[in-house]
Amino acid sequence: MATKIINKTVTEFSLRITRCFFVPSKAIQTNAALFQERSETSITNVEEQLLPTIRPPLPIIYSRKLAFPPKFKAVRQAWVSNMDTVEEEKLGLIDLHPEVFAERPRVDIIHENVRWQQLYRHVSYANTKVRYEVRGGGRKPRPQKGSGRSRHGSIRSPIWRGGGIVHGPRSPTPYFYMLSFNARLNGLRSTLSAKLAQDDLHIVDSLDIPTDDPSYLEKLVEERGWGPAVLFVDDNDIMPLNITAASDVHGHYNLMPVYGLNVHSMLKHHTLVLTLAAVERIEERLLFHLNRNDAAEAGRKHRLDSL
Amino acid sequence: MAGVGNRVLAGTDRALDLLRELPRLSLSNIRSNPKAFKRNKRGRGQHGGKKHGAGNKGSGQRQNFMRLGYETGNNPFYLRVPKEPYYKGHHIRREYPPISLMQLQTLIDTGRLDTSKPIDLTALCNTKLFQLSPFENQYGFQLTDEGLDNFKGRINIEVQYAPEQVIAAIEKNGGVITTAFYDAPSLIAMRDPMKFFASGTPIPKRQMPPENAVEYYTDPKNRGYLADPDLVALERFKLAQKYGYELPDLKKDPELLPMMLERKDPRQIFFGLNPGWLVNLKDKKIFEPEDEQLLEYYRS
Repeated sequence: MATKIINKTVTEFSLRITRCFFVPSKAIQTNAALFQERSETSITNVEEQLLPTIRPPLPIIYSRKLAFPPKFKAVRQAWVSNMDTVEEEKLGLIDLHPEVFAERPRVDIIHENVRWQQLYRHVSYANTKVRYEVRGGGRKPRPQKGSGRSRHGSIRSPIWRGGGIVHGPRSPTPYFYMLSFNARLNGLRSTLSAKLAQDDLHIVDSLDIPTDDPSYLEKLVEERGWGPAVLFVDDNDIMPLNITAASDVHGHYNLMPVYGLNVHSMLKHHTLVLTLAAVERIEERLLFHLNRNDAAEAGRKHRLDSL
Repeated sequence: MAGVGNRVLAGTDRALDLLRELPRLSLSNIRSNPKAFKRNKRGRGQHGGKKHGAGNKGSGQRQNFMRLGYETGNNPFYLRVPKEPYYKGHHIRREYPPISLMQLQTLIDTGRLDTSKPIDLTALCNTKLFQLSPFENQYGFQLTDEGLDNFKGRINIEVQYAPEQVIAAIEKNGGVITTAFYDAPSLIAMRDPMKFFASGTPIPKRQMPPENAVEYYTDPKNRGYLADPDLVALERFKLAQKYGYELPDLKKDPELLPMMLERKDPRQIFFGLNPGWLVNLKDKKIFEPEDEQLLEYYRS
């Protein structure tokens, strides 16, 4: 198994995976166990190989303690499913905080976020020349008087054909601006809520899949009606090796740690898949910022006009 | 109206419910509120062309506006009326930013203030809802009478200024109020104690009030911290007579009594910490001075 993956790493995959391989993760251990089982049974069919998974009786996950329990809103609930079989199995039902996952889906705030994400790194290189930059035009084209024609001082004057451009675009024009902190916070809340309301948000126990075969992931996504574009979000930025390898060949399956979660990526992908750890982390971060009482002081350092 | 079964959905729930029936939210079908983003374009012709809103010649085009108050040769308004020096010396007067009783009650109800301990300027600043800048001549907070009828808190509070009706409202509930003066260096330490302790300087000695504030803080009617306690007790009784309420006996609640009787020394700025002490946050230690000269200096 390991040699197979190393060969693939060298030949097919990027350096990113090489780095992942040398990080000890539990994914490798589980794979080894499965591999042993498979070798004993020696079944040729890939799908049947993966079938025997030992699992305690369902539901495994059935309750979750919410921080800052909501006083006036009903909690949302969502299924937790597995990733280790192609067919979906419901492992349990968990509570989601309504302040994060059932917030009013403000499309205008979502748009504000997307616009900001597209613009803040955009630099326009469109350029036009003003009259002094256009070549020539230093000489008076004809005497001021006596020619019977109009008075001109330069052939590059803006009213001339081939002259300079007034009020034209000047390069480089940065479009950087900072969206306010609360707008970014609310953008995440609105988008997560909209995704959940449209059944485009799925929660899984972990991103451990039994094989690094890309076709496994394809089948899984097809079987469950996800995607085609799927964003997998985990708490940690060191992802399990198998899903890293399986998703690498497809541009539309992407892995992302919680700290990179953003409105643009969530909307770009059809389906958002969060692990339980990611749900915990997202709720913890957003609720912390929604409930902290020193927000004014904490934000003062980052205010652009504070100097 | 959208709904689930018999339940009528409204607000957020309705919006989320509607979203289930709508196409998937994506980068291509979202938009902002109309006119949220102004397009900065130079209009031509009838769309603001010609002068672009700057008018014909003069200040509009050249931005060479006249100085404020100048009326092109007239005797200007600000010189026409005689001088009325209400604000004379405003730059050196002490300022007490207001906190209303309604705000105070809300702070208590929402758990931002702990009523089981005396409430002083540090406690108010630690709610992070009030800013105090001693550099702008702000010498603490005053309590105002807004929300006076709804005030139910039983507290031991120390503020820098309080009118009579506010004192009555607090004492009617069985509370205690003191007005106390703090000089600017003390206030800087008090408004952010963690920052002050981290600076590694000993806790300063609170200075006595300036000459024009001595009268206020020695008056038992104002519950001044320099007033005679016996006279304060008398004034508490007199105020209850004046406003027509029965003064609750503090001794009836022996659990609350020690807290209610807690006061700071006139030289002290933190409860439980004396001037001259040094607080080490890292090792969680407090250092006290032993030098006789220092002890003499910090003695109250």
